[in-house]
Amino acid sequence: MRIERLFRGVAAAFLCLLAAASQIIISAAADVTLTDAGGRTVQISDASRILSVGGDITEIIYALGADARLVGVDSTSQFPAKALKDKANVGYMRALSIEGVISVGATLILASERAGPPEVVKTLKTTSVPYVEIPDQYSPQGIAAKVRLVARAIGAEAEGEQVVRQVEADFKALADGVKRIKQPAKVLFVLAAQNGRATVGGQGTSAHAILELAGATNTAAAVAGFKPLTDEAIIELAPEVIITMRRSSGNDGHDTNQLLTMKGVQSTPAGAANRLVVMDGLYLLSFGPRAPRAALDLMRQIYPELGGEPAGSHTGATK
Amino acid sequence: MTAAVPIAARAREGGRLASPHALVAVSALALLVAAFLSVSIGPTGITLASLPRVLAAIASGQHDAATAREQLVLLDIRLPRLLLGAFVGAALAVSGAMMQGMFRNPLADPALIGVSSGAALAAIATIALGNGLAGPVTKAFGVYALPFAAFLGGVSTTLVLVLMVGRSGQLSVSTLLLAGIAVGALSGALTGLISYASDDRELRDLTLWMLGSLSGASWPKVLAVLPFALLIALALPGLVRALNGLLLGEAEAFHLGIDVDRAKRIIVLVTAAAVGAAVAVAGVVGFVGIVIPHLIRLVAGPDHRVVLPGSALLGATLVLLADLLARMLLRPAELPLGVVMALIGAPVFLHMVVKRGVGGG
Amino acid sequence: MLEARHLTYTTGSSTLLRAVDVGVRPGRILVLIGPNGAGKSTLLRLLSGDLKPTQGQVLLDGRPLGAFAPSELARRRAVVPQASALSFPFTVLEVTMLGVTVPGFGLSDAEAGKAALDALASLDMTDLKDRSYLHLSGGERQRVHIARALCQLAMPAWRSGQTRCFLLDEPTASLDLAHQTQVLAALRRQADAGHAVLAVLHDLNLAAALADDIVLLARSEVVAAGSAQEVLRDDLLSSAYGCPVRTNQTPQGDRPFVLPPAVFATHVARPARSLANGGGAHVLAN
Repeated sequence: MRIERLFRGVAAAFLCLLAAASQIIISAAADVTLTDAGGRTVQISDASRILSVGGDITEIIYALGADARLVGVDSTSQFPAKALKDKANVGYMRALSIEGVISVGATLILASERAGPPEVVKTLKTTSVPYVEIPDQYSPQGIAAKVRLVARAIGAEAEGEQVVRQVEADFKALADGVKRIKQPAKVLFVLAAQNGRATVGGQGTSAHAILELAGATNTAAAVAGFKPLTDEAIIELAPEVIITMRRSSGNDGHDTNQLLTMKGVQSTPAGAANRLVVMDGLYLLSFGPRAPRAALDLMRQIYPELGGEPAGSHTGATK
Repeated sequence: MTAAVPIAARAREGGRLASPHALVAVSALALLVAAFLSVSIGPTGITLASLPRVLAAIASGQHDAATAREQLVLLDIRLPRLLLGAFVGAALAVSGAMMQGMFRNPLADPALIGVSSGAALAAIATIALGNGLAGPVTKAFGVYALPFAAFLGGVSTTLVLVLMVGRSGQLSVSTLLLAGIAVGALSGALTGLISYASDDRELRDLTLWMLGSLSGASWPKVLAVLPFALLIALALPGLVRALNGLLLGEAEAFHLGIDVDRAKRIIVLVTAAAVGAAVAVAGVVGFVGIVIPHLIRLVAGPDHRVVLPGSALLGATLVLLADLLARMLLRPAELPLGVVMALIGAPVFLHMVVKRGVGGG
Repeated sequence: MLEARHLTYTTGSSTLLRAVDVGVRPGRILVLIGPNGAGKSTLLRLLSGDLKPTQGQVLLDGRPLGAFAPSELARRRAVVPQASALSFPFTVLEVTMLGVTVPGFGLSDAEAGKAALDALASLDMTDLKDRSYLHLSGGERQRVHIARALCQLAMPAWRSGQTRCFLLDEPTASLDLAHQTQVLAALRRQADAGHAVLAVLHDLNLAAALADDIVLLARSEVVAAGSAQEVLRDDLLSSAYGCPVRTNQTPQGDRPFVLPPAVFATHVARPARSLANGGGAHVLAN
């Protein structure tokens, strides 16, 4: 009797192992067929060497724990910092070199729909290496879709769902925080300030989207895209808080000084009250999995009365 | 141009480093070497050793993944890039030589007749309006919308210029120069206006395009520039006499039997076509038009019988070598061709201007 | 024969030439003289086809200049300019050979080279042939252009009835005395070969020595035309130049005066002329 039970137990364990092993083999060997952002049907059989073109896509791959399979990234893949250090760099995502991309020897290319130049993208889509275009939408649904598509392409759907759950939880925390806002603040997002002219984020930009997510009103919503504004225009917008991007040198004082030299800025409520916030640009704008946390941090910067700890580990901590 | 006796002696005593034949031969050799390097070297490490395999695979119709990759790199990436690069270099250098002959100034540049600024204006309009107003048109042309627009823009600006200035029947070089500068300024202003209205992404695309690159090289583009290459090849021999005569001065050229107005019109139009096509496929690449003809003149004299073919050959060589550097220095990323060219060309240009060893006043 | 008939040329509001009649005959040298601004260079440019007359005609062997294609015209006339804009480092031989690039000459390189060398030799410039044009003095450059024009004239196959013209604007301006003689002798040889030669000269003594016919231009009009004796007269010259001009007089006292050697060179003046006939006048101006 006991031997039979033992035998059955071993057989059961063996079968479970077999099932698990076959799952792994199947999932690795099984062709994944999906429709990418460009509407193309792509078939992926080998996801062991991945090239990622787009900072948000690289972030997702690291979040999925698949970075061991990542062989190349583009120059906008600045989070995590080791991405550019460890992996081959194919250059700026809109200035790809066709032979350079091929030389990386990837078996799967995941590229933002913003990758370019168009002729190179066109040729890449004709090679035998699967090219998956990842959509770029600045919304909670967009981020979830992005994560799921990447996860499906690399065969890590379980991990993908985990990341999506985390992202959704983060968005919930964000929404809870936003609910407590009594009065939306009027905020201006300044991409860069030079020579007395500030480039601000208007309608349709990732800056606009993150401001809205953070429960603020984008005072520059009348402008389309990232546009330079004159001093007078900025005064007229009268923002209560100004957000600006940190330079790579990380000297925050320098950035706020640059802004404060502009007369227009000085005359705004934000300038008068010294409500100038400097944050990491890619953290705020790349709309990867960290987006809801970035929005939460932004919200806390804009509404310090709401209190709370900075969300999550990132290199974008503000003072 | 040379009587049999005085060639060798003349080469040395005239301060020349080489006879015309020697220069053309050396330039042709240099081009062959550059072409060979261009097609054998690249970030993937594939060399011409793979060529027999690839040809065999094409012949037999059987491909495996490795030969498919080699075929893609050798025949669909490097070879069209080589041909396009050679065309761009030859076209820009020869256009520079013609402009310098026509304006009688070794520092003259095709940009003076408004070609480059017209092409840039058309390019930015395409990039900026391609998503909006001109959407259907750009979709119809696909990836060729930009080159086509750039070419049209370059040639149109020049044509308008020539028609304006030539209305009185005389195509005055000084008027052409001033009008070219004015048209260039106008194009620049319109470009600035449109770039103001563009968004961040479009601006970045335009900036990259303006830096020049051969990365979009493809066989359809090679076929597209083929007529221009033929046009230039056919027009050039007939222009040698006119260009030499024009160096003496327009009145003198007329006395020597050259129909000066007709010659100038042809020179301007051939230059516009050549530069327009080059800018259309490679963006803005500078310095080739000034540096190369200058070097040829330094070495073998200003006779256009040697300056024109020599410029074509050496211009092609220079662009191919610059493109090689652009592709390999930061691999797997790529430097813009215009940047590499500027890094090479600007110091040489500066030396030219400072030394003024071009035979000026 | 190259002739101007009732030629008038106006630009804007100024009249540079008024009703000018001038004829350059084959085998003869016509010299244009006159004060600055008289219209000599303008007349030369009209005769060479650079400018189109406002009124009147320029005829070459009876055909209006406008009826000639540039290449055809270039086979019939050569022009030596007053100054050249050349600023590229051609060698002397190369500049001379440009005279051979006229369409229709159909010469081999060897023939072209020989013709250029001959032209240079006739002006005593053979040892300069490989020098860069830009390293030459003003006078040497002038002679190179003369050599170029000589080359151009020597080229086309001779056809009787077709006049060939040689037009020169101040060819002796930068030349020293020896070279003046040389150039003028070359002009005489051209005339002897049957070409029609027209030269604008500043130096009245050289004009007197060289010319078969002289035309005096002043204030945009022809004031006098004829032989040296007929034109180089005190009254005509004084009125044209606006200052007292005395011919055939030597200065008082023992101040020396120097006439250009060309005046005395026998191979400059027309061989038939002799001093006994009063041929050879010299002119002194205050």
